[in-house]
Amino acid sequence: MRKDLLSAQQAAWNDLARPGSWWTADERLELASIARLAIADPEPLPPWVGVSSTDRLDPAAVPAVAADAAYRIARHAGTMTETVYRSVADEIGELRYVELCSVVSAVAAVVSFHRAAGTVPPPFPEPTAGEPTGERPDDVVAAELNWVPVAAPADQTAAVVQAYSAVPGAMRTTWTLARAQYIPEDEMGQPDWMRRPDGLTRPEAELVAARVAQLRECFY
Amino acid sequence: MLSWSGDHAGDTVDLTSVESGRHLAGEHSTVLWRFASACAGSDDDELAAARAAVVDATDTAFMVDASAVAANFEMMTRLADSTGARMPAEVLEARAGAIGALGVAELTSRR
Repeated sequence: MRKDLLSAQQAAWNDLARPGSWWTADERLELASIARLAIADPEPLPPWVGVSSTDRLDPAAVPAVAADAAYRIARHAGTMTETVYRSVADEIGELRYVELCSVVSAVAAVVSFHRAAGTVPPPFPEPTAGEPTGERPDDVVAAELNWVPVAAPADQTAAVVQAYSAVPGAMRTTWTLARAQYIPEDEMGQPDWMRRPDGLTRPEAELVAARVAQLRECFY
Repeated sequence: MLSWSGDHAGDTVDLTSVESGRHLAGEHSTVLWRFASACAGSDDDELAAARAAVVDATDTAFMVDASAVAANFEMMTRLADSTGARMPAEVLEARAGAIGALGVAELTSRR
């Protein structure tokens, strides 16, 4: 397996067990465990049922509303609405919400990769002690192209690029993964880009991307 | 991105093929479509068969690369939908044809 891919996924996995900007390592690992449960759940809850209201888990480290959001984003992201976002962010805070999303999406990447390739994801690492770092950009502002706030200036890049920009650690992890899994950002405009001579052509990579996004009911 | 990259490769991509799996352009597109569909599905037996078909048609490294792309879009779809990512109005207008062909105009995630 490619070293850059292994390295990016291992780094993302290790980051789950370190304090983030707004969540401790224990909290991040609990969110990650909920995401993993949701992704693999053989009988998934419908999107309108909060997992904390069931006996499937009993969140110990994170608020129930965060547990419910992590499950829903992991399993039914396409059903998220601005109203749901606002209700969650009002309780836990906008930047904590952004970091929660980044934990879920990183878990989705690693778990989905291993399932696709027929390999077994590693267990979560042991948590690192410490308080959240509070790392944030100097200026965080509202955006037109996202519900969540972003690093200023807003809306100068694509919505998916700026989505996690208010949480620098989330940005680093996400785009390190994207470079290894898909395409380095500085190659994005190359229609004939290939990772290696006998690898996927760009249209082949885009076919995989389009089909997964369509089945996930992702309009973007 | 699919139609754009296909155009550059000399293949006119019928975007309805993403839904149907028919009339796909490209040497490995049929096995890749099946594999991507299985990656986003829940049938482990079908995923194993689809994975084996990709390896038979190409090699293990190719399958790993395809798995990585699928994983990336499992990540990016959650990123987009959880943060309310939307396209500017002028982009939506320019992509109206693709939106219709992909059959995604009525999705909850359109915003």
